Amino acid sequence: MTIQIAGVGCVTPLGCSVDEIFRRSAAGERAAVTELVNPETGETLPASLVPPEYTAHLNREPRLRRASTVSLLAAAAGKAALADSGIDFTAEARSGLAVVLGVSSGGVQYTRRFFEQVVKHGAGAASPLLFPETVYNAPASHLAAMLGVDGPSYTLVGDGTVGLQALHFAAQLTETGGAKHALVVAAEELDWILVEAYRTWRLTARTKTRNGALLSEGAAAVVIGSEGRRAAVHLRDGGTFFSRREAPAIMDRVLAGLAEFAPVDLVVSGGNGTWTDEVIAAAVARNFPDTRQPSLNPAEAVGEILGAGALLQVLLALDALERTGSHRALVAAMGWNQQAAAAVIECGNSR
Amino acid sequence: MGIVSPLGHGLAATLEALRAARDCVSAVTAFDTSNCRSKTAGQVADAPVSSSRKERRLHRASHMMIHAVREAAAGDPAFAPDAMVIGTTSGGMSFGEEFYRAQVRKQHLRSAASLIANYPPQKAPTDSMQAAGFRAPLTIIANACASGTNAIGHAFRLVRAGLHRRVLCGGFDAISEMVHAGFDSLQATTTERVRPFDKGRSGLVLGEGAAVLALEDFDSALARRAPILAEVTGYGISTDNHHLTQPHPSGIGPEQAMRRALEDAGITPVEVDYINAHGTATPFNDASEGAAIAKLFGARVPVSSTKGMMGHSLGAAGAIEVVFSLLAIRHGFLPPNINYRESDLAWELNIVANAARECRVGCAVSNSFGFGGTNASLVLEEVRG
Repeated sequence: MTIQIAGVGCVTPLGCSVDEIFRRSAAGERAAVTELVNPETGETLPASLVPPEYTAHLNREPRLRRASTVSLLAAAAGKAALADSGIDFTAEARSGLAVVLGVSSGGVQYTRRFFEQVVKHGAGAASPLLFPETVYNAPASHLAAMLGVDGPSYTLVGDGTVGLQALHFAAQLTETGGAKHALVVAAEELDWILVEAYRTWRLTARTKTRNGALLSEGAAAVVIGSEGRRAAVHLRDGGTFFSRREAPAIMDRVLAGLAEFAPVDLVVSGGNGTWTDEVIAAAVARNFPDTRQPSLNPAEAVGEILGAGALLQVLLALDALERTGSHRALVAAMGWNQQAAAAVIECGNSR
Repeated sequence: MGIVSPLGHGLAATLEALRAARDCVSAVTAFDTSNCRSKTAGQVADAPVSSSRKERRLHRASHMMIHAVREAAAGDPAFAPDAMVIGTTSGGMSFGEEFYRAQVRKQHLRSAASLIANYPPQKAPTDSMQAAGFRAPLTIIANACASGTNAIGHAFRLVRAGLHRRVLCGGFDAISEMVHAGFDSLQATTTERVRPFDKGRSGLVLGEGAAVLALEDFDSALARRAPILAEVTGYGISTDNHHLTQPHPSGIGPEQAMRRALEDAGITPVEVDYINAHGTATPFNDASEGAAIAKLFGARVPVSSTKGMMGHSLGAAGAIEVVFSLLAIRHGFLPPNINYRESDLAWELNIVANAARECRVGCAVSNSFGFGGTNASLVLEEVRG
């Protein structure tokens, strides 16, 4: 299945445009590391957060006044992608627009705060203002309301591959007549409980000097449709593995589905400093053996943005192709929760 | 198809409970409700999937999904899905609660890593794949209470467009303290019985369960002589931007979803024999949905909400209610809307009050609406050949 990218947008700790991420990471800058604190144990947890000023312009949106961080991040990236697409979304055009959101943990700050009230003060004291923002589809609902979309709005949940899953889902919507255009957004926010959870699972950095992934937050967005095309994305079904031992074979199977597009000029990997790095690298080497360029790992500069990570890889792959005048890039992602996904981005640049 | 709900484990127990109009709501046993308005829920009786240590460690959402998927697989052992689309709202939420409580207690849990690994929404469907012996790309839709219906609707579109030949789809959710407290905080819950569409309705109670359907291209199923239970013929989705947790009182969202589903199926309202309503029994939902059904269908079509019997199972509800509707089609009866006392004068509906009715059902509409203003409807029809 192939879809056309019309516009992109993002917000990350290292900038709120792909160009800014490129410039800052090319200058050797890395996302600033903040020490979150587990208030129950006093332990510190390194993480990268999006500066509040990146989403401050959204505070006047009626639906976002009490919205969660993940909703603000999704809205910032989504609006930027729509603007970048150059498509005039009139009322008629909006009737054919779908919203597809991908998240991994969703509104975890409100979820933790709400349950904290339940645990510490009793269910009767828990705030009704917090609970609605805990549902996974709250960000998609806010986006649909902001844009005046009354048609399809979907929220997908998955691991670090969910951004690619959301892109694939949106492609299925356009293919099956469910929508003419789709705004695909992948977003993630952080809270100490989430970082603590991944640390418990031995996946995250224990210190600022890193030993594992550095968790990060942010959002990436893509507008797909037949107008304003910038690049094509070739998508295939992702894969499911039942144990880490099976992961290499499943990554192989996913990449083999895209082998018809080999060789590629560039690989943008979901490498994040954990066990998945080796699985992705080995599978790329087996299935795309002619790729001479070393893989780019956006997580090295931006951090591991969980649910937003894979879609950000797509944005950075597209940017790299356009900057270098290259033709094709492979995006490969493997999540920590049993899912693998990949895509090939193709620009019109001649080889 | 396969199902686990407060009405029972499996299709036979479910059918018997539906016909008997059994009230399966009971006092919550999983957590303390002394500080809650609502102290009841529709709960699935525990039924471990096996004696293996590994499966015992799984979340009960996984247990429910495994039961449902195994029943569907037993009904058609040759059905090999090439995709799985599942709806849920909270995955393994109670494991997240346990992890948080351990932080508050400053307690080191030996099982902490297992709690984290089994918390994500994709874990239960993945476990069910492994237990049933197949592997497929998995999509998890979390569109609040419409998730299960959205999952079936999307799977239907994939099959109809030829993008996949066989898709296993459905929904699941397991009751949790966090979600129970959430609906309680919104005062959406009731302190008494659940009375969908009744003038004196006062709110919902939560439920839980899992249900799956094996969808296949008709010609493909026919060619391999698969047991064809019914056809999905239409799907409609709409988004009501009125409010994050409340539908527009006019019923515009439900009306659009039902209208789009009927158009998708190529039928008119007069061809519908039964509507399984979302019918949560909250004042807002039933007013909005009742207005939409009355506007589209008038008072001719029998309507019931089955949530009075088992509570609102959120992401599972749509899938469970599609199974109920398919049982209605296959066994010729209308599932009952229990605890019904008095009509709401705001609209005139043909409510299947308190007892199941024997009736041929050739075509049913199943509705699900959720937070975020997401609305979904499916059209189901008997096999026409």
